[in-house]
Amino acid sequence: MDFEPTPYNIPLGFLYWLIVTGFGTIVVLVVTLLALLITRGTKGFGDFLNLLSSAALDIVQISPRRVGAITRLTFLEAIRRRALLVFVVFAILFMFAGWFLSGGTLVPDFQVKLYVSFVLRAIAWLVLPVALLLSCWGIPEDIKQRSLHTVVTKPVRRLEVVLGRMLGFGLINTLVLLVMAVAGYVWLQQQIDEKARPELTCRRPVFGQLTFLDREGKPAATGINVGDIWEYRSYIEGATRARAIWKFAGIDESALNKDGELILENRFSAFRSHKGQMGRSLLYQLVFVNPETGLRVGTQLRQVAEFRGRTDAIPRTLPKAGEAIGGKITEEAGETVDLINDLVSPSGELVVEAVCIDPGQYMGMARPDLFIRTPDGSFLAGYAKSILGLAMMVLLIVFLGVAASTFLKGPVATLLTFCLVLVGMTAREFMMTIVSGRFEGGGPIESVYRIVLHMNPTQELPTGIAFQSMHLMDLAIRQFVWLIFQIIPNFDYFNMAPYLANGFDVSFNASVLPSIAVTLAFFLPCLLLGYFCLRVRELEAK
Amino acid sequence: MNRLSSQQRKFAYLAGILVLLVPIILLGMPSDGRPGSGGYLAQLRSEYDLGESDLGQVDPSSASMNLVLLGLRGVAANLLWMDLEYYKDRKDWAQMRATTESIIRLQPHYAKVWEYNGWNLAFNTSAEWDAVPDRYYWVKEGGKFLARGVERNNDATNLYYHAGRIHQQKVGQSDEKKYFREYYFADPDPKFGGTNDPEFNTDNIDNFLMGKKWFYAANDSELRRKQNIQDRTIFRSSPARAQFDYAAARQEDGKFDDETREAWAEALSDWTVKYGQEVFTIPWDNGQVDIRMEMTPEEIRQATTSEADAAKLARAVDAYQKMTNYRYWRTRGLSEAEQVTSDAHREFYLAGEEYKQQNLNAALKLVSSSMEKFEQVLKKYPELRDEDRMVEECMLAVMLFENIHRLNGERLPDEFPLKDLADEKGGLREQIEDQFKRRFLAG
Repeated sequence: MDFEPTPYNIPLGFLYWLIVTGFGTIVVLVVTLLALLITRGTKGFGDFLNLLSSAALDIVQISPRRVGAITRLTFLEAIRRRALLVFVVFAILFMFAGWFLSGGTLVPDFQVKLYVSFVLRAIAWLVLPVALLLSCWGIPEDIKQRSLHTVVTKPVRRLEVVLGRMLGFGLINTLVLLVMAVAGYVWLQQQIDEKARPELTCRRPVFGQLTFLDREGKPAATGINVGDIWEYRSYIEGATRARAIWKFAGIDESALNKDGELILENRFSAFRSHKGQMGRSLLYQLVFVNPETGLRVGTQLRQVAEFRGRTDAIPRTLPKAGEAIGGKITEEAGETVDLINDLVSPSGELVVEAVCIDPGQYMGMARPDLFIRTPDGSFLAGYAKSILGLAMMVLLIVFLGVAASTFLKGPVATLLTFCLVLVGMTAREFMMTIVSGRFEGGGPIESVYRIVLHMNPTQELPTGIAFQSMHLMDLAIRQFVWLIFQIIPNFDYFNMAPYLANGFDVSFNASVLPSIAVTLAFFLPCLLLGYFCLRVRELEAK
Repeated sequence: MNRLSSQQRKFAYLAGILVLLVPIILLGMPSDGRPGSGGYLAQLRSEYDLGESDLGQVDPSSASMNLVLLGLRGVAANLLWMDLEYYKDRKDWAQMRATTESIIRLQPHYAKVWEYNGWNLAFNTSAEWDAVPDRYYWVKEGGKFLARGVERNNDATNLYYHAGRIHQQKVGQSDEKKYFREYYFADPDPKFGGTNDPEFNTDNIDNFLMGKKWFYAANDSELRRKQNIQDRTIFRSSPARAQFDYAAARQEDGKFDDETREAWAEALSDWTVKYGQEVFTIPWDNGQVDIRMEMTPEEIRQATTSEADAAKLARAVDAYQKMTNYRYWRTRGLSEAEQVTSDAHREFYLAGEEYKQQNLNAALKLVSSSMEKFEQVLKKYPELRDEDRMVEECMLAVMLFENIHRLNGERLPDEFPLKDLADEKGGLREQIEDQFKRRFLAG
């Protein structure tokens, strides 16, 4: 796996949500109150209280039966609007997918990676326009056709209209997604070659913490940079005291497989500074260290399987071998050690050191590059989790779309929602750079100043009150961008394809949980925004 | 105000459509494949060989993709190129390969796209992998990719040449050549059952001969459409050079049989008879003149009207011969066709084998004999003293000779064959020592 799953911090996420939602709510209420006071004078305050009390009444008196009826109506309406025509596009895409995917000629793990990514991406991109168009055009179309007039004259509250719309569109989109998911699964099973099928699996890794020793054996934060553009891995030098050290916690007999072996899988990378022995890959040795007793036991030398990864089954009973010196391992004749009893500390800690054997050559690694492989989960379960992620994404788009459609016309609401989705998918990293202030040349005001005066970004600015005010204004703008940044959903969480395509189970903490949390976090603000906007909207204005 | 009724307006639209259809049909009617058929644009396409079928094999997926994208092909291609670089930087080879496929669907007749990606697969990507069988897989991917490029673009002369270069240069002359040349006949991928990959080594022949075949195809294509890789005189020498490489590689493999001698004879013939007699048009005063590499003084005189012109043309032929290293390769061909050269190579090879078996006396005898023979060859053909391969082999022989003396605890004689060459080329020692270690000392 070429990325590091970061566990989601639920309490912190909730705190952020409270701050942003609370701040947003206060801003809306203050602006509304001010507007009412300005337009209606002191009477405005009474109107404001009335608005709040009737909103509270609408929330309390919400009727599941009426919401259910609106949901049903929305669902049937969507089918009548031929939303299911997307299946035709889906079918055509999958029928001709073979033209564009040259999977048959690829090595098995590549084929699986390619096909799984294709299926999940195709489903995501096909269901996205359906969700977008249905949710953004529903209410504006109702207003235009005046069908909403008949609804609001009935004892149906506007909150129920918005909620019913959200649930109805969510339901139809989830149905579309489920049908596509089933078809995609069947397609995968049929298209992937027999020999590549074993790669359709869900590894359940136990990751450790990675530290390094440099060539002189001193602790180092990272290994060597060998000049790769991608700085994901760092490297240790062969035939020196450089080590990559993983500390695994909570290890006991349950980490062994049914044959009593510890399965260690690695994705080490190789970098040659000279040709060396061309006939074989670089050699590495794994050394087990008991962190308490200091007992060190080396395993036999193995060849790096670069970009493919290799699985080493370490037997529970190991010969008491030393570390490789000059490519040779010394072994104490007949003596053995027990992997669990002798090498795991009483607190359940196991230390594994990776050593590059070939002099002048380098071996690269990142934290997820060595892990204990516990029994694999089923591919179907991982696939279902990925689809759940997409379902959460679709629901979020529906929430955003419906909320936007309560105060904007169909095309503009579509554009707004699409922009939010696009920015959430592609530009969050860029926004993060702006928010964090990690860019040269300062904020917008400072940048304009520099551009006008032809100052390069590294040039020092003069000091003075004017420049301090400029920095303050930039800071204020940055805080505003921070708020926008928090409002734009992080769509990265919904994309679980990288796990599944690489043969890993989707991480619950790093992906499933945040995807649900993000969708839920947007539900309430979208619902309330939609409700208030529909309340104040002039329905006669088409 | 519009005074027409709804029905009248519809008739007016219909009439407008029909009127506009006439020029559209005249301009854009598709051709049925017969000459002169179709609209004006179809005829122009046919005249300038711009139709899909005129350019090469038609790929329906490519055509449909371009249709679906309407006018956004350029935007989509740009995004895909950015993706390709991203995946390459992140060493995501599966996605990079898939993106390459998508790009060529969008740009199937852009020869540079095929050339770039073919190179990227065979050279850049293969070098990123550590295991030699994996490297070979990517070299094959690049080779097959370029072969497909040629199918789609029959007149893309450069692509034929680059495809040939993968077989000749990447398989036959890279650091991994020892393994690649073995894999060329016995692919490491188990699905080929220990035989060649028929999509790459299509004729099950030596990689240099396959390269030669591609270079001949490139030369044929060059007659239809110009190449822009190198000077024409150098470009057209490629098939003969591949034949020289083939003969030399057989010797490096320790094959000193009749087939090797025939390979050298064929290389000489390819060089002097086929390539040497080819006509090249070069600039001459304000016009042009035809020359051949094997032009005799008599032929030069016949081609000119005055002694001064003859001398000038002789200088021009000489310049082109120097540029293509013509005389050297002719000498090399002649020398290698001689028994003494063949024996020198064979004895040096056998000396190395004996050395590896620690039979030092036998190795010394063989290497001394081979050094004497090499010296005879260099005396007869002094131009070879500046030829890399010959110098390398002679220096290796000298190093082997010195090494055996050292191991035997004997003093190196004051005089021995090739000593003057070893002294003259002393600067190359360090570089050749690495080769010596790999060839004779590696386990």
